[in-house]
Amino acid sequence: MLSLDFLDDVRRMNKRQLYYQVLNFGMIVSSALMIWKGLMVITGSESPIVVVLSGSMEPAFHRGDLLFLTNRVEDPIRVGEIVVFRIEGREIPIVHRVLKIHEKQNGHIKFLTKGDNNAVDDRGLYKQGQHWLEKKDVVGRARGSSVLLRNNSPHLPQFPRCC
Amino acid sequence: MAAAAAQGGRSGGSGGSSGTGGGSSCGTGIGRSGLLDKWKIDDKPVKIDKWDGSAVKNSLDDSAKKVLLEKYKYVENFGLIDGRLTICTISCFFAIVALIWDYMHPFPESKPVLALCVISYFVMMGILTIYTSYKEKSIFLVAHRKDPTGMDPDDIWQLSSSLKRFDDKYTLKLTFISGRTKQQREAEFTKSIAKFFDHSGTLVMDAYEPEISRLHDSLATERKVK
Repeated sequence: MLSLDFLDDVRRMNKRQLYYQVLNFGMIVSSALMIWKGLMVITGSESPIVVVLSGSMEPAFHRGDLLFLTNRVEDPIRVGEIVVFRIEGREIPIVHRVLKIHEKQNGHIKFLTKGDNNAVDDRGLYKQGQHWLEKKDVVGRARGSSVLLRNNSPHLPQFPRCC
Repeated sequence: MAAAAAQGGRSGGSGGSSGTGGGSSCGTGIGRSGLLDKWKIDDKPVKIDKWDGSAVKNSLDDSAKKVLLEKYKYVENFGLIDGRLTICTISCFFAIVALIWDYMHPFPESKPVLALCVISYFVMMGILTIYTSYKEKSIFLVAHRKDPTGMDPDDIWQLSSSLKRFDDKYTLKLTFISGRTKQQREAEFTKSIAKFFDHSGTLVMDAYEPEISRLHDSLATERKVK
């Protein structure tokens, strides 16, 4: 057996102390996990904090901003609100503004979105044959952001636009 | 020192506590496998980073434990530690249940179960904090002295210590609870850690062990200590 001095501390521990160290690490991970799940339950959204990935919402949101979302059933979606939605078959959610809404008497809605900085609406991004989004595609509505914490560094290099 | 040569026992109960510096030959433990022998370093002198406060405290605590368990042959009671381990295990269990349930039933359906797990987790955290603050109270050893006649309940010895951050004064407190009379006596000493460690960070048992024995003997007799 190699005599590695930094392992001396581990060798000196008995079973209980080793188990306690493992538990300590598990508790740190569990705390982070529980806080995240707790936020999920409180906001009702499956991803309560998201990062803006593209520049399609400038000048409101730049790349790297954090957004805080809620997804409560009682709040209806209205034109002009910023929503985060997921297109069927794609993993990455998209942050854009609602442009048009069709609403039925029973509360069922269909809506169209567009990024502030994009020239056209999002129909080109939706699935083949899909022209409207529905409530089930929504991850959440933006309620707050970390815009004020941004540091005013020089403009980021422009990568090819997506989303 | 003759007292430090009580190496005869790798005491089975308390496993690999830190080793002492005595120049003894490790002739014991022949029955175990060779690999296990090489892993355990009971006989190696304790060497730690002397500027690291928590390592210093841990090594002093471990050595005090070792003296009390090996020299006076007390039996360690794991009740306090087991309580803490149980609470932590239950908390992690709630977290794992939440994780697996959410994975199997995607979000909106798993809301009630998640809420339950999150609340239970934080309740367990609260219980853990109360437990460590009020019940455990920096006690790191609870040892029993079995009554030789087997008639009276055991006497209990408790060790607790404190070492403030960036401070060099180490306080060790020994509490004796008599099994028969349920009376409690305690003794403590506060010394600079510089008295027990040498330049390279090796714990010198020859300086530390008499302190512990002195504390112990002052309580073992029946007179009250100041």
